[in-house]
Amino acid sequence: MPAGSSERVDFLRARIASLEAAGGSFVPARSWCSRGWPSASAQDLRVSLGDARAPCSLDQALRGGLPWGGLHEIVAARPGDRAAASGFTLAVAARFAAHQAKTSAKIIWIIETRALRETGTPYGPALSSCGVDPAHLVLVETRDAQESLWAMEEALKCRSPAAVIGEIWGLAKIYDLAASRRLVLAARKSGTPGLLIAAGLAGAADRLSSGAGTRFEIATGASPRLPSAGGRMPLPGKTVWAARLVKARAGPHGFGFDRGKLHRLSWDPEKACFRDALSLGVLSLSGDRASRPAWSLSTGERGAARDFHEDQIGAEARSA
Amino acid sequence: MPLATFMKIKSALRLAALDPRALALALEPGMALADARARHPALLAIEANPSAEAKILTDILAWSRRFTPLAALDAPDGIMLDVSGAAHLFGGEEKLQAEIEARFQAQGLTARTALAPTPEAAWALARYGHVLRPLISFLPDGLDERRLARALGPLPLAALRLDTGLVAGLARAGLRRVSDIILRPRAPIAARFGTHLFARLDALLGRTKSAISPRFEAPPYLAERRFAEGIVARDGIEAIILSLAQDLCTLLTRHGEGARHLEASFFRVDGAVKHLDVRTSRALRDPEAMARLFRDRIEALGDAGLEADYGFDVLRLSALAVESKGEDQASLDDTLNSENDLAGLIDRLGARLGVRRVTRLSMQDRHDPDFAVVYVPAASRARPRKCAPRDISSDAEIPALPPRPLRLLLHPELIEAIASVPDGPPLRFRWRRVLHEIAAVEGPERIAPDWWKEAPGFTRDYFRAEDRDGQSFWLFREGLYRETIEPRWFMHGLFA
Repeated sequence: MPAGSSERVDFLRARIASLEAAGGSFVPARSWCSRGWPSASAQDLRVSLGDARAPCSLDQALRGGLPWGGLHEIVAARPGDRAAASGFTLAVAARFAAHQAKTSAKIIWIIETRALRETGTPYGPALSSCGVDPAHLVLVETRDAQESLWAMEEALKCRSPAAVIGEIWGLAKIYDLAASRRLVLAARKSGTPGLLIAAGLAGAADRLSSGAGTRFEIATGASPRLPSAGGRMPLPGKTVWAARLVKARAGPHGFGFDRGKLHRLSWDPEKACFRDALSLGVLSLSGDRASRPAWSLSTGERGAARDFHEDQIGAEARSA
Repeated sequence: MPLATFMKIKSALRLAALDPRALALALEPGMALADARARHPALLAIEANPSAEAKILTDILAWSRRFTPLAALDAPDGIMLDVSGAAHLFGGEEKLQAEIEARFQAQGLTARTALAPTPEAAWALARYGHVLRPLISFLPDGLDERRLARALGPLPLAALRLDTGLVAGLARAGLRRVSDIILRPRAPIAARFGTHLFARLDALLGRTKSAISPRFEAPPYLAERRFAEGIVARDGIEAIILSLAQDLCTLLTRHGEGARHLEASFFRVDGAVKHLDVRTSRALRDPEAMARLFRDRIEALGDAGLEADYGFDVLRLSALAVESKGEDQASLDDTLNSENDLAGLIDRLGARLGVRRVTRLSMQDRHDPDFAVVYVPAASRARPRKCAPRDISSDAEIPALPPRPLRLLLHPELIEAIASVPDGPPLRFRWRRVLHEIAAVEGPERIAPDWWKEAPGFTRDYFRAEDRDGQSFWLFREGLYRETIEPRWFMHGLFA
């Protein structure tokens, strides 16, 4: 589940290349030696959402990936997409964690009570399907939006978490440029990425204005469904997100991006990265389907219909 | 008007407590109420309330901890304070006793105080010292035994805390005072009345450490400050807490320990006491961190704050639970620092929001999805059990569990669903007033209830359903058609 060593080597190569280009003194971006020194080159370092060698379309729109120490906002497209938005955020946090120097860095998830009641609480056995080990998660439950923003700022001031996720409901009145600026400054100073899920503002991504660096709008996409035998309904496939980039801070070279384009992504647990989801009509190739039993937690792929029936009997025998 | 309280003792109403005017009329506790009223019809008698009296005594105890933290109840009407090390703060033992009496007077309580080298002597002097001529209520430390015996001699034998039958028996034998027993040979008296009488006598005179002594709750380390007038401003209180934390940390460093449970006690001028406590996830020895935790705790109290009406004049910071802690060493890759960083964050969040709101996940080996995960407070020491990595490469005969939803609703919500009978998957359903048409479904996964319980509940068939828009749900039908006539459908979770 953590990123392979090849990925780390690529990361280091990119880092050295940027240092050589900058020509400055050696200031390691995420190591502890640079305690409190604002390193300008850390801003240029980006964490790619897809595999380093096969970047996904969202990485190309972001010109490389998400920057370190910054605030990123995620808004759901419809009220029913909130769970999908939190899943996407968790996967992005897993990407940040994969690039960390230590493998035991924790992800801090701050949830407001209203969001817990509306969408539910994060469920442990499913976290590994989004790339996060449940032992590395710290959940903080807060009573209202003000407390959640305070907790998020406190968590962003620390250097040790891999990422800080804040799922806040009542942002309408209190979240403005000033509040977001505080979070951005805290994140930049410590180098901890902050991910803010505006749970109460589903569908209002274009109307939100804040100081965050990037903003995504997440919706669920129809998953690649597999046929089932006997004329029954098809089986749902792997989870697919349709992400739209609403705001992205221009890099050193400046760029524009298409605000209406929908990027379809899914999570690859083996490589711990995002992948472009193939469109609906194309079925998965035989390489993805192994002779494993139908319920396989790692890839979530479904076996053939015959495997499904055999396993159905096995499941009933198990629970009876 | 003389005032007395009465209680029902063995089906007769008897006097329990009397005020000085009633005592002056030669009334005694234990006398029957009818007799007392017959003698003095003007006597005002009210029913005693032992629980209220006990509560008042506990409040007085809490307030009298301002003199020393070693204070214990001496039921039913007294308090025992161990002032061994505290006298110098008041300028001497006599001044301490005067201060205690003045404070009690200011509170409106009449108190008889006595200060003595041993707890038994203090008890005896406080309760029976009024018979001594001249009145003694203070015995200095270091008094030798002969003088102590001479001072305590005139006390009656009841001052040794013996029961009334024994005292009456000794009185019939002509032994009424403590001095009568000190000088006589022990063997004949012990043969008739028992030896514990002499054990009490030895404890009184300080020859032996008494076997019965009040239990004191003493914190291992504490630092305190006393002020001439009350402190009201919050900045002042926070600055004082910081300086108390510095003193406490010096003490802790000297003994090589760190605090895990801290308590700040605020004693108000008018007698109220407030305690704030803070628990930490690791042994703490940093004054700035301690002060910061208390600042967060005071902020969490809200607008009312500490309610320092006229101010606090004693502030005390005590470490209630300590752990040994070595020196902090900076490691080469700073892993220790990052653990401290995260632990400090968890402590701060816990101090402000409450310890139970900062949790980690602990996976349980239960098939029931509601109980598969337990939320453990992050500050507690127990490491949550790691979810075992599933070995996907081996050909396992038992397949792994089906995918679980990312978000589990706190309680399953009732939905209206249309499905084919008897165990078909749902075709469409209405949840929270929105209709969803199902386009793909996977299941059923049958989770049976705990059959070993008395009322096991119904079997659940879980389905993973995806609707036309792509949103995935985890629904279940509760109850098979052989268990119930009308099974119901519920929504339990949402997939990413």
